Amino acid sequence: MGLDFAVVPEYLDRLLLGSVWTIGITLAAAALSFFGGILFAVIALYAPAVIRWPFKVFAWLFMGTPLLLQLFLIYFGLIQIGIDLPAVVAGIIGLGLHFAVYNSDIIQAGIRAVDQGQYEAGRTLGLSQIQTIRKIVVPQAVRAVVPPIGNNMIALLKDSALVSVIGVTELTLSSQLAISKTFRPFEFYLAAAACYYVINLALEAGLHRIERRIQVAR
Amino acid sequence: MKTISNLFKSALAAGVMAVATLGASQSVQADELATIKENGVMRIAMSGAYPPFNFVNEQNEVVGFDPAIGAEIAKRLGVEVEIVTTAWDGIIGGLLANKYDAIVGSMSITDERKKVVDFVGPYYRMSRGIFVKQGSDVADLAGLEGRKIGVTLGETHEQWAQEQEGWDVRTYKGLPELLLELDNGRIDAIVTDDIPVLLAIRENGNAISQLDTSGLAGVADQAGIAIRKGNPELHKAMQEALDAMQEDGTYLTIAEEWVGGDIR
Amino acid sequence: MDFDLILRVFPYFLQAAVVTIKLSVYSTALGLVCGALGTSARLSRHKLLRAVGTAYVSVIRGTPALIQLFILYFGGPQIGIQLDAFEAGVIGLGVNIGAYMTETMRGAIIAVDKGQTEAARTLGLSRSQAMRKVVLPQAARLMIRPLGVNINAQIKGTALVAAISVVELTYTAQRYIGSTYKPFEMFLLAGALYMVIIYVVGMGVTYLDRKAALK
Repeated sequence: MGLDFAVVPEYLDRLLLGSVWTIGITLAAAALSFFGGILFAVIALYAPAVIRWPFKVFAWLFMGTPLLLQLFLIYFGLIQIGIDLPAVVAGIIGLGLHFAVYNSDIIQAGIRAVDQGQYEAGRTLGLSQIQTIRKIVVPQAVRAVVPPIGNNMIALLKDSALVSVIGVTELTLSSQLAISKTFRPFEFYLAAAACYYVINLALEAGLHRIERRIQVAR
Repeated sequence: MKTISNLFKSALAAGVMAVATLGASQSVQADELATIKENGVMRIAMSGAYPPFNFVNEQNEVVGFDPAIGAEIAKRLGVEVEIVTTAWDGIIGGLLANKYDAIVGSMSITDERKKVVDFVGPYYRMSRGIFVKQGSDVADLAGLEGRKIGVTLGETHEQWAQEQEGWDVRTYKGLPELLLELDNGRIDAIVTDDIPVLLAIRENGNAISQLDTSGLAGVADQAGIAIRKGNPELHKAMQEALDAMQEDGTYLTIAEEWVGGDIR
Repeated sequence: MDFDLILRVFPYFLQAAVVTIKLSVYSTALGLVCGALGTSARLSRHKLLRAVGTAYVSVIRGTPALIQLFILYFGGPQIGIQLDAFEAGVIGLGVNIGAYMTETMRGAIIAVDKGQTEAARTLGLSRSQAMRKVVLPQAARLMIRPLGVNINAQIKGTALVAAISVVELTYTAQRYIGSTYKPFEMFLLAGALYMVIIYVVGMGVTYLDRKAALK
């Protein structure tokens, strides 16, 4: 079986539609993981022990198990206790929380690296603890950790392929559907890889701009 | 960015050429029957997650109708059998890449698949079943209009369901997901081979029932053993082994043991 | 929850966990080598080497690992690379994580203040001496935690090799789900074993991080 890309155009519209889903899911989950990551980092470092400890267990569960399994539990498990999430929403929440925990780890390191003196200065200036964290510590910490968070966003794009297991017709499932009809795995996996690559280049370019803007702002 | 995309293009071209050489290199090779006999082992592939046809028992051994048929064919060819379990998505790719010699994994014979592989068999007949939750208000096929119907990715039933008027078809990865979704009430019916579901009802007590689909045309599929194209001798030898075991009653013994009846 | 069943299949999950651990260890080792080479290439003074390093990171990070595995395993034989599934898994996953590790290592090296290199050069150290004696020791400390994150991702990423017929923890769970109709029990069991592996590795990373910080 030689390669025959002539089979691809017939399914191109579905691959493109799948790409749109992949982009949408990635952006929504990336936003959730970014803000969730900041929130989790602040909780882990500053919240009282009653909140901090249950949260640490939660973070540990998310860090310690495969995303595939988490998506499965969120989609097929939560409905057993009456929470019926549509597959796309379950996918975004699963991806978003998973990467929020990773981002939180990075942001925590960033916050620790922000000089303790700055925190104290903020307090001395009459800012409340929350104000100091929000206006002084977090902005500096986040700037310092933009590159590794960008790294996570890129991993998130690729991991969005996993939401295919709960029946979301994103790029990977679209290509698998085409393969199941044509039995041309290489053509469609290469086509899907090309789509991912293009989305990835756009994402990298976007991250690059953010990085540069932040560096100018410093 | 230019250099990167050029490099990617050349990498892609290399991959394309690599894959394209497959057909050529295979036609010059001798028939694989000789290779299998020389190695003394025939490698057969299946998903390992499709009871009663192929599944792991509690001792983590792959057993069922498919491994038993595969082992019997190997025995009649005078070689050992080696079982490979692999995710269904890549199972034909693995055969084409020479990772095993045959797929004895309850694969239905379709024209599309015939373009890529040759089939020995058929070795059993599958029949399409439509299942709903017990107590469902869906009583017959007509009642499925406008309902959510679950199917498994890549099964022949998926295509069939897509062709029905007014069905909202959802695609899942396998039978376990279908059973869960039906149980959860997210879908109203599932379309799949009936034997595995009937087994689940018996073994696991799933509260689902089968719709009466008698009178429905084209509900049967044939399961075949897939081998690489261009191996007439291997095909002939395996077909003869399969025919012989059907004649001498071995086939029936295997079918009774794993499926509880003749499924030809 | 069927605890009897869990106990009965537990030994086989342990065997599968060993496969997962082996895949993780070998592919992480390969990933570190690829990461070091990739970093050297990306920070090299030679334009061609830099381009190679950039292309490696961009292509590998830009496409899903699953597709890379498929191309290596199914496409390899046609260009004479006949790997068994486990070998293909180790190489595919290792080369994949290597691209992420390249970015981690490069990030840590860049994070070491530029002034330090300049100071070292002023003190008469050569470029490579400055890198070896001043920058790398500091960068090494900085990269322990983020590399730990890469390794954590890699352990979970080993689940992908089920698609090329390696029976590791996730596929063992999936096979048992097929025959037992108990998805939650099987996934929770697999999940618990992943957590143990990841916990132990996490402790190792924390230990190294602390030890490095004390220096």
